[in-house]
Amino acid sequence: MRFILKTHYQQDIDVFKHNGQRFWFGLLALLVIVAPLFIDTFYLGELSLVYIYAIAGIGLMLLVGHTGLVSLGHAAFLAIGAYAHAWFIGKGWPLPLSILLAGLLSAAAGAMVGRPTLRMTGIYLAIATLAFAHIVEQIIAHWEPVTGGFRGQLVPDAVFMGFDLSRGIPFYYLCLFVVVLCLLAALNLLRSPTGRSMVAIRDSEISAQSMGIDLARTKTIAFAVSAGFTGVAGALFAHKLGYLAPDAFTMLTSIQLLLMVVVGGLGSMHGVFYGAIFIVVLPQFIAIMRDTLPTAIGQLPGLEPGLFGLILVLFLIFEPLGIYGRWLKVKQFFDEFPLYRKATHKRQKSYLRTERLR
Amino acid sequence: MSALLSAKNLSLSFGGVHAVRDISFDVEQGEVFSIIGPNGAGKTSIFNLISRLYNADSGDIVFAGESIISQPAHRIASLGIARTFQNTELFEHETVLNNMLIGRHVHRCSNLFSELLFLHSVRKQELEFRRIVEDVIDLLDLQSHRNQVIGSLPYGVRKMVEVARALCIQPKLLLLDEPSSGLNPEETEDVSFWIEDISRDYGATIIMVEHDMNLVSRSSDRVLAIADGAFVALGTPSEIQNHPDVQRAYLGD
Repeated sequence: MRFILKTHYQQDIDVFKHNGQRFWFGLLALLVIVAPLFIDTFYLGELSLVYIYAIAGIGLMLLVGHTGLVSLGHAAFLAIGAYAHAWFIGKGWPLPLSILLAGLLSAAAGAMVGRPTLRMTGIYLAIATLAFAHIVEQIIAHWEPVTGGFRGQLVPDAVFMGFDLSRGIPFYYLCLFVVVLCLLAALNLLRSPTGRSMVAIRDSEISAQSMGIDLARTKTIAFAVSAGFTGVAGALFAHKLGYLAPDAFTMLTSIQLLLMVVVGGLGSMHGVFYGAIFIVVLPQFIAIMRDTLPTAIGQLPGLEPGLFGLILVLFLIFEPLGIYGRWLKVKQFFDEFPLYRKATHKRQKSYLRTERLR
Repeated sequence: MSALLSAKNLSLSFGGVHAVRDISFDVEQGEVFSIIGPNGAGKTSIFNLISRLYNADSGDIVFAGESIISQPAHRIASLGIARTFQNTELFEHETVLNNMLIGRHVHRCSNLFSELLFLHSVRKQELEFRRIVEDVIDLLDLQSHRNQVIGSLPYGVRKMVEVARALCIQPKLLLLDEPSSGLNPEETEDVSFWIEDISRDYGATIIMVEHDMNLVSRSSDRVLAIADGAFVALGTPSEIQNHPDVQRAYLGD
């Protein structure tokens, strides 16, 4: 077990809390930087996809895990980012600017959804965002001059300063660079007043209000920031797909994103990455399973969404804190080795709650 | 000297239930003012009216010369009114430190973009917040709980964390809703010392809803007694304790 002697408030503010973390994250950084030398193109592509999902996951985590607002419509923001990026790139705008604008446009759309849905929580909000995603899907399908409609459109190559970054190793580094940037921004937000106020709203709206937090404003910001990150992910996703069509951004994609943050572990940025790895590996796993299982089961048409749903439900019942929560428990088991008791993490009922005032 | 807070003819009803009926009182700068009454008398409703969680049917609340009756709930804290809740409303999954830092929210000057980049100004602001929070931690002896998550704390400590969080706002007026409920006699005695400290060190005016008459008579300058939402008596603790109407409200005829 590690005990940290704190001598300055900076130590609580810094991203890395101690040298152990610096070492391990440094090692991880080194690994992902040299990864292209060792792994082949297919797996490199999958790893890029992990980063892309992680960026979207960072956005969704801020909304679901930290602000406590559930969105079932994040595929729409992914789509807005992807189409906006394709459009800007097609107009010949520089790559960084295009990605940034895709994020900002998506953030604006997020604020637009956030504002009217402020009074909703839980299932009602989920339905409202679902409806929004459906509207966006329809707009994409019918706004042919810009989106190419059902026929879809080819995504122009991402050329930056003469380099083609849209596939292979350069694309991998582009994704890596953007995901690190997004992660830092999210961590910065979470250690600042706005991030704290988001968490406050999740835990108790009534007392957040009494502490001077403007619920409407903070929720709108949360929606906008979340949509912004997802839009940036969408921009990279466009290159990953290579060809944009409305069927890439359906409800299944939204559920996949939600699955990612829940399975990874709500309320932690570690969880985003565990979740991203999980949802990239899962379809591969299902594909392998389809071949080995008897045809009657293996070729069932709804197998994939069915499994997604099943896993989501199982996690909610048995490990609501996700993979990261499980990891923390394992770590604690070894930290306190002979003293760990079965009841340590038993979920307790809370009896005390002020009347909810609504 | 004019009153820091004055409530004028406040009324509030939920359907047919009159929770508060035509209540008026003035709270002077620097005093400790208690509101007592039997269960369901409308004490907490008065608090919720002042912190604008409820809309009054009629009447007015004037704080530091300004009517707050039509301010939104989230503006109240920045005017300098902080409160605690009867059964604690803390941010369960956060540490004591983060709960208290929320108290500094109204004093922030950073915006979203500087926070995303965590500019130097944001870091400086965080350090400044931290210094103020640590002062409060020292005052209320919360050092050992600083990095603990609220969910793992005993009830008595949670109540103190809530007071601490309210103090981090550096309020002019502090509303304490039953600070001693659920505490043992020893902890209740501590509360009376803390109330003294808070009103002395922070110069905060305190309005307190409380059932424990020992605590009330030890700490408060004046006491307002209400029953069934209506005014019963107002005076010093000993006056109130011996007031025939108050005794009737508690014990019946």
